[in-house]
Amino acid sequence: MSEGQHILSAFDRDLEGLQAKVLRMGGLVEAAITDAVTALETRDEELAQKVRENDKSIDEIEAVVNEEAARVVALRAPIASDMRLVLSVIKISANLERIGDYAKNLAKRTNILLELPPIEGAPRSIRRMAREVERMLHDVLDAYIQRDAKLAHDVRNRDEDVDQMYTAIFREFLTYMMEDPRNITACMHLHFIAKNIERMGDHTTSIADQVIYTIEGNQPGGERPKGDRTSTEVFEG
Amino acid sequence: MKDVRADERDTTMNDVKIETKGVQVYYGENHAIKDVSLAIKDKTVTAFIGPSGCGKSTFLRCLNRMNDTIDIARIEGEISIDGEDIYDPRVDPVQLRAKVGMVFQKPNPFPKSIFDNVAYGPKIHGLASNKAELDEIVETSLRRAAIWDEVKDRLQAPGTGLSGGQQQRLCIARAVATSPEVLLMDEPCSALDPIATAQVEELISELRTRYSVVIVTHSMQQAARVSQKTAFFHLGDMVEYGETDDIFTNPQDPRTEKYITGRIG
Repeated sequence: MSEGQHILSAFDRDLEGLQAKVLRMGGLVEAAITDAVTALETRDEELAQKVRENDKSIDEIEAVVNEEAARVVALRAPIASDMRLVLSVIKISANLERIGDYAKNLAKRTNILLELPPIEGAPRSIRRMAREVERMLHDVLDAYIQRDAKLAHDVRNRDEDVDQMYTAIFREFLTYMMEDPRNITACMHLHFIAKNIERMGDHTTSIADQVIYTIEGNQPGGERPKGDRTSTEVFEG
Repeated sequence: MKDVRADERDTTMNDVKIETKGVQVYYGENHAIKDVSLAIKDKTVTAFIGPSGCGKSTFLRCLNRMNDTIDIARIEGEISIDGEDIYDPRVDPVQLRAKVGMVFQKPNPFPKSIFDNVAYGPKIHGLASNKAELDEIVETSLRRAAIWDEVKDRLQAPGTGLSGGQQQRLCIARAVATSPEVLLMDEPCSALDPIATAQVEELISELRTRYSVVIVTHSMQQAARVSQKTAFFHLGDMVEYGETDDIFTNPQDPRTEKYITGRIG
């Protein structure tokens, strides 16, 4: 991002307003992940309900960001770093909206899980994974504010850890299901939850790509290290 | 996935038409152009951008020796077209300007008929041996300038009676009538409305198939729309020269970035 203010100060206010909204959205999404996982772990129905309701405000901000970004494109014809910034807010807000949806889905499944016998240990593994995604999201938003490409690259590489955690959880759940078929319903829901958190990690990585593009002007190239082996290998419990 | 229109913009295989090496221009004490070396390609639109007084028009005018007419102007360095030094004493500036046509900011048709405006150049350069040939040159030129259909029924009407956009296209027809190889355009659309501007821009894209076009413009969007290569000038220096795509998405020099995004600096 270029140093210095625009001669047209209203243009600066437009761009600042867009970024502020994306960051506000980021804050709400972070809170949604934390609350959803806490609700799962503490079997808190009320908190889960709150997560589901709050998703609306995340969706609303995304709609506003899209509208404002379209207006900036139409009226200001942004180029170079300004254009990259506008493209990044559109894409980042879409990613955040998806992460919010996954958190909401997690909360929905929590309500069902409350009616089933608890699976010992599973919520803890899920919380560990969610914590890592939350940290990645927190760091990538920091990288966005600070224009810190190094931190964004770092986040991009950390997705591998999340993938590995997911592979481990996948095996863990297989074992539970084999031990006792009465665990299957709960484990299926827990597995979807784990998969959703793994997807949140992917969206966070995509945000990191956008942050890097905004700062450096190039899409980060090269393959990222991947740790999810569940779709390529046969695991037997 | 490949960008299928990238080939349309790709100029890497095009020959170099104009080459400048270490060009310096002085207006008396004022050092207006500082050591500019640049290879301008054939069949390519090259845009010169930069703030007022940055030297872009001065540099453009060096390419057909228009600065010769200014007494205090002094030019050093080398400028060659197709490998031939245009400042060689044996070069006739009048012949050179037939080869390197120019279109100016304000349409400036001669106070003559539309036909005579276009026929003037070919006549003085002896490009037509009879009336039929001259008629053909005039028609072809007006067609290339995308104005034939609008004026074919009133070729004897005065050129100055046309609208601004038509006058500018008439001037382009006049410039192409002498079969130039290079077309220099100094802010050719700044006096035109958006529709006339779009027509001239479309014309520039067509002219590119035959000529090397160099355009000076104050409109960033115009440079982005019509050119394949862009050079940014600042205080007499050529700061950055590259693919237009790159300059407008990810310029390398902070001065370019500041200028094109409209920042204080």
